[in-house]
Amino acid sequence: MKKLLVSVFALFLSIGMFAQETKSFPTLPENVSVKTLDGKTVQTSTFNNDGKPYILSFWATWCKPCLRELNTIKEVYEDWQEETGVKIIAVSIDDARGASRVKPLVNGSGWDYEVYIDQNQDLKRAMNVVNVPHTFIINGKGEVVWQHTSFVEGSEEELIELVRKVMNGEDISESK
Amino acid sequence: MKKLLLTLSAVMLAIQLSAQTLGGGQVTGNFQIDAQFSRQDSAIGAEDVPQKMLSNVFANLLYTNGGFSAGIRFESYLDPILGFNSQYKGAGIANKFMSYQNDMFEITAGNFYDQYGSGLIFRSYEDRNLGLDNAMMGVNVKFRPVDGIIIKSMVGKQRYYWDYGKGLVRGIDGEFSLNSLIKNFEESKTRITLGAGFVSKYEEDQTILSSVEGYKLNLPLNVGAGAFRMDLAHGNWGLQAEYAIKSQDPNALNNYIYKNGNALFVSASYSQKGLGINLQAKRIDNMGFKSERTSTGEMLYINYIPAMSKQHTYALMALYPAITQVNGEMGIQADVTYSIKKGTWLGGKYGTTLKMNYSQIMSIDKQPLEGYTTIDQKGTDGYTSDFFKVGDELYYQDFNVEVSKKLSKKSKLALTYAYIAFNPIMENEHGDIHYNNVVVADYTYKMNSKNVLRGELQWLKSNIEYFDDDKRSGDWLMALVEWNFTSAFFLSVSDQYNYNGSKEHYYNVSVGYTHNTTRLQIGYGKQRRGLLCIGGVCREVPASNGLMVSLTSSF
Repeated sequence: MKKLLVSVFALFLSIGMFAQETKSFPTLPENVSVKTLDGKTVQTSTFNNDGKPYILSFWATWCKPCLRELNTIKEVYEDWQEETGVKIIAVSIDDARGASRVKPLVNGSGWDYEVYIDQNQDLKRAMNVVNVPHTFIINGKGEVVWQHTSFVEGSEEELIELVRKVMNGEDISESK
Repeated sequence: MKKLLLTLSAVMLAIQLSAQTLGGGQVTGNFQIDAQFSRQDSAIGAEDVPQKMLSNVFANLLYTNGGFSAGIRFESYLDPILGFNSQYKGAGIANKFMSYQNDMFEITAGNFYDQYGSGLIFRSYEDRNLGLDNAMMGVNVKFRPVDGIIIKSMVGKQRYYWDYGKGLVRGIDGEFSLNSLIKNFEESKTRITLGAGFVSKYEEDQTILSSVEGYKLNLPLNVGAGAFRMDLAHGNWGLQAEYAIKSQDPNALNNYIYKNGNALFVSASYSQKGLGINLQAKRIDNMGFKSERTSTGEMLYINYIPAMSKQHTYALMALYPAITQVNGEMGIQADVTYSIKKGTWLGGKYGTTLKMNYSQIMSIDKQPLEGYTTIDQKGTDGYTSDFFKVGDELYYQDFNVEVSKKLSKKSKLALTYAYIAFNPIMENEHGDIHYNNVVVADYTYKMNSKNVLRGELQWLKSNIEYFDDDKRSGDWLMALVEWNFTSAFFLSVSDQYNYNGSKEHYYNVSVGYTHNTTRLQIGYGKQRRGLLCIGGVCREVPASNGLMVSLTSSF
């Protein structure tokens, strides 16, 4: 009888452990190498915003909607940072044709984002990005809580609204 | 009963524990489905599609668990949509790999993509939308013994549609960040990265006859290519250079000449907030490097030589794109981005952005060898070339300016002008150089926070009269109107009109719906024959008339 109880208890325990699995988000790939605008190789594990959420946006110098997205956000970025402390990490997928134009374009356009070059598209593949622009919101734990492709003027307001929700600990995975 | 329960719970516990020690891992992926229905239209050169429906599908599945990852890609082309090589026909697992990495090592077995430096001697690459894929099948190892050193080595064969190329490709590359390696240099404002790589191709002997009858060419079974590169950054300044050489490599691209190849690429830039300048120069001499010596076409390239010009995205500006001449070209490019500050006379209330770009690509100097009257004689060294002498032939020239300005809280305007000279020899066609003037106005109007209208007007004026072989010749007008309801829905209507030429209208109506990362797009209309360029790469697309449905998603 005792044994039976023990085994039933063990069964319940193991079932309980299965059931415990709460909703989990994929995490940002950790060991993918990208380059800074100064040519330094860094691992994606260094991506962070001191425990606050950040926006990860894939773009390219030849992608018009991407440039529109980053230029539109530029105008409100200071306000966003002041209010939420959010940071934008912009990853260029330009190959050798455009890669050397990335830094002059970033500075010439006056973007204050953290910019990396993913020339071999390793991070693009690891994050299942098919087309650019492709934008992610990563929470303070490094989890990908939301992603979206395409950009149109006005989407930036939806984006910051989602960041606010993430900061309040809300689940936004069902948001469009 | 008791035993059963115990065993059951033990099994479940074991699964649970193993899942925990393995961390469970995560499965992600993406897919794309393209379906095309096209009908015959002799006016634009669209051929009959007896299958009625063509489709391309791919799906990637990626499993990651700590340092371990594995992936497969399913592809099907039943039958391939127009513009994709018919050798793609079929379905199956096209790509598979396993990879493990820790702080020091990364080893990948199976299919992999990688590049050495900018790719002058090695780049394996894919672009599914262009049907380009020269994935390596083999082993790739990366080693980081200390911070600042990355050594890479690989061996494998290249993907050729559903098969692999005959050539065996081996390579090694090292990259050294001096700032990380030299003490007291770490915090320096000057950053120096040096790199060097070597790639070798082995291919079995075969019989290729020289132009002197009866002589079989003595083919090198191993062809080597080496490159040295540096990347220097000092505050606002940057300088990048890469030089590559290639040993004797008689192949179908260079008409089986024995001359060594070389390539030089230099890029200098200066930028500060509001101003960015980039100057580039390159010289390519006999650098077509493929893993099969008889191969022509877009597959089996071991290296990658980018075109040195701006990648245009407006349809009429992209009508005549630059195409890299791997057998020899010299080019320069200058690119400036300048933001005029808000509140100034030119900047207005919101500021203005100016972009200027100039590129010119010429042939290289090629002189016949002693005792020969023409260059590129099969089985010889081909030609001699003065490194610093520019050739006589203009391949491509592009001067373009873009002014973009936010006019009010609701509207934005971008005006672009381009002067593009295009030599048909880049597409292996003969004929006069096309000189084109192109003007584009791009206007965005935000009606409210949800509805955005965008319109484009484009005009291309060419010096070349229309001729039927080249359906893009003559003068063009294009108009496009696009309505976006948030980023979730769009409707666009456009027409390209060859008003001084075939008088043909290429109209198109497209709707798209995006929900997070899932996007459905349906387009109906006529597609002009021409080059489709995405990123830095282009593919020939035949004319079509009909319906195109595309669904992409990632998870």
